[in-house]
Amino acid sequence: MRRVAIVGAGMTPFAEHFHLGIKDLLPMAVSEAVAHVDKGFDRKDIQAAWFGELVSTDGFAAGVMADSCGLLDIPVTRIENACATGNDTLRNAFYAVSSGHVDVALVVGGDKVRETSSRATFWEWMSMTRDQAWDYPLGLVAPANFALHAQRYLHESGATREHMAMVAVKNHKNAVPNPKAQLRFEISIEKVLAAPPVVTPFGLLDCTPQSDGAAALIIVAEHLAEKYTDKPIWVRGVGLGVDRVMHQHKQDMTTFPATVRAAKAAYAMAGVGPGDIDVAEVHDCFTAVEMISYEDLGFVDRFGAAKALEAGETSIGGRIPVNPSGGLKAKGHPPGATGIAQCVEIVEQLRGVASNQVDGARTGMAHNIGGPTAVSAVTILSTDVS
Amino acid sequence: MAHLQVLATHQPCWGSDARRVVGYDEDALTLAVAAGRAVVEHAPDAVTSVVLVTRDLPGLEGGTEAILLAGLGLPSSTRCSVVLGGAPAALDAISTGAPGTLVITADVEPAAGAGAALLGTSGAELGAVGRSEGSLPLKVRNTSGGTFDYDDPRLQRVRGTNAALDRLALDDKPIAVAGLGAKDAASLVQGSPAALPTTGASSVVFALADALERSAAGLVTAVEQATACVARLASGSTAVLRSARAARPFPKTQLGADASIAISLPAYERAFDSKLGLQAGQCATCGTLALPPRHRCIECGSEDPHPLTPLPRDGVVYTAVSVHVPVPGLRTPYDLAIVELGDTGVRLLTPVTGGEPATTAIGDAGTLVLRRLAVRHGIPDYGYAFEPTEGATP
Ligand SMILES: [Zn+2]
Repeated sequence: MRRVAIVGAGMTPFAEHFHLGIKDLLPMAVSEAVAHVDKGFDRKDIQAAWFGELVSTDGFAAGVMADSCGLLDIPVTRIENACATGNDTLRNAFYAVSSGHVDVALVVGGDKVRETSSRATFWEWMSMTRDQAWDYPLGLVAPANFALHAQRYLHESGATREHMAMVAVKNHKNAVPNPKAQLRFEISIEKVLAAPPVVTPFGLLDCTPQSDGAAALIIVAEHLAEKYTDKPIWVRGVGLGVDRVMHQHKQDMTTFPATVRAAKAAYAMAGVGPGDIDVAEVHDCFTAVEMISYEDLGFVDRFGAAKALEAGETSIGGRIPVNPSGGLKAKGHPPGATGIAQCVEIVEQLRGVASNQVDGARTGMAHNIGGPTAVSAVTILSTDVS
Repeated sequence: MAHLQVLATHQPCWGSDARRVVGYDEDALTLAVAAGRAVVEHAPDAVTSVVLVTRDLPGLEGGTEAILLAGLGLPSSTRCSVVLGGAPAALDAISTGAPGTLVITADVEPAAGAGAALLGTSGAELGAVGRSEGSLPLKVRNTSGGTFDYDDPRLQRVRGTNAALDRLALDDKPIAVAGLGAKDAASLVQGSPAALPTTGASSVVFALADALERSAAGLVTAVEQATACVARLASGSTAVLRSARAARPFPKTQLGADASIAISLPAYERAFDSKLGLQAGQCATCGTLALPPRHRCIECGSEDPHPLTPLPRDGVVYTAVSVHVPVPGLRTPYDLAIVELGDTGVRLLTPVTGGEPATTAIGDAGTLVLRRLAVRHGIPDYGYAFEPTEGATP
């Protein structure tokens, strides 16, 4: 097993890019990652590419990626693993480099969500992710999947909508200085609580926006890292976890076992624990999902998320700042790109150049949950090689 | 001569006391199941054949009988037939049926309701007296759903109802007349029967139930346009089961933009027995229940055959949400719940029906009822919805 370093990272802004197609966004993100490599990078060095995309747009994913980015001489593989696609794409590329078959790999994620009417999106995604006979006709729209968990979580934990609102307020505040974020404005708890209901307990401001965007990483084998940079960021741990797909088979809906499994694998590979994480990008497609994830990732005790928010433990300056980029909630959520963009943020954090810098951050985490709630991918990055 | 062993009536909760209407997830089949199911639960194993009488069939193609039997919880080997007819056809089916026959009647228009009669070897006797077919098509529906209304109540009365009854030359005034509005019926009957909530096939069961409840015996007639049927009801002991929640207006909802929900018919067919009969697969090795049934046991991994076993239809809400945003093809707000069925540990994700949206709470108790969950590419897709116990939520 070889160690693997990130030497370049880039992303497009996340936004409703009505004027840009997936074939525009992908080369933009790749070019930014290439330009980001300190000591220069020749694209010919790329030996293989992995592309994460949830929904194919404008053609089959790997082909669109290879064609639009001019990568016709290398193998390109598409990864799709629901909303965990981004971190899972990195995980697959990591294995290729780590195993010694590939020295330099390109990892790209992207999605073009706003290619259809915002309302039609509900149905299009539903048809992919629901049992055709049992769930699909019921109107189980995307927010409802997570809301079923959140309602039970509030019921059992004693947390309230105010605590959920604290997540939204925090992540919006973090997004303001982030030039890549989609919603760069502050909101108040009152505003979150007063927003129109979407699916109880989520109001409009508890929900991620619909976003387009792409993000890219260049990863290399240990022996090549210094050829490209003096500040490699090491991929220390990757983990993937799954769970029962249909909600009625999830025994305890106050937790996401997929996250617990993914985190366990990533911590074990990295040789670290929750207490070693200095900064984390956590999947906050809906506010309560960030709260449940604090617990599943081991940042706080079971049902301890509300207290942690009250104490500001996950704010910048707190014990373990979460979503300094603004998170999915305010930075945006083009699913295939989301996990890769989380890693872009963690790379910047660990290099000390993030827009909301967490002082002295040396080890960081990126986390996705999707499926809905049936697959999770976790990545642990560090300035320390071991 | 038939014996009425059990009678059941059912009225949907929507509309007013004067006129009940079907909800967006109801049709003649769901009403029929509601009425028939009450009988089946009251007298398990008594039903050997089923006849559905209605003029409001949701579909004219095959499959209706299978949906009905699955909803009733009867084996698919049960003889089942559908009769396109109104009140006279219903009275004829009930008064001439063999013991073991469950005659179900259902109406959607102009007022919604359903009734079921289980014929047995004991209970009040109902004997056929006569019938007369006539043609006076004052109201016509064609197969594509178009209607034609001649709108001449006097013609109906004189050359329809009265002429048909004259042809039957009854020697006595009937104690109940089904198939007519309350005013028209009142002038023809003796005694003081209750006003019937429907005027189609189900009005016969409502009329019989009312007569038995007030211990009236005598002639019962059923009229539709210029057709009439008459039978004689003798007093006797018949169980009468009534189901009617308080009438309520439709909640305020908003219909999302039109969108057709695709259907996979192989998926429909695979799920059918479990989904419409509310049956779980039971692991032959460890006994674990699986809903939906699955090839590999969720508990022990056994891949042996997993015969279906009926699940309880009572449940408690484990978690629930209300969807408020517009969703294409659906009416918002609507509630979705994950319900634990009886003490089986089995859960089902269901829509919530029969009440005000945005009121479903964790811990609510209720019943799983057959509903038309969606119409997908024109195909009705039936399954179970959760109906909270009346008064359980504000
Ligand atoms: Zn088993």
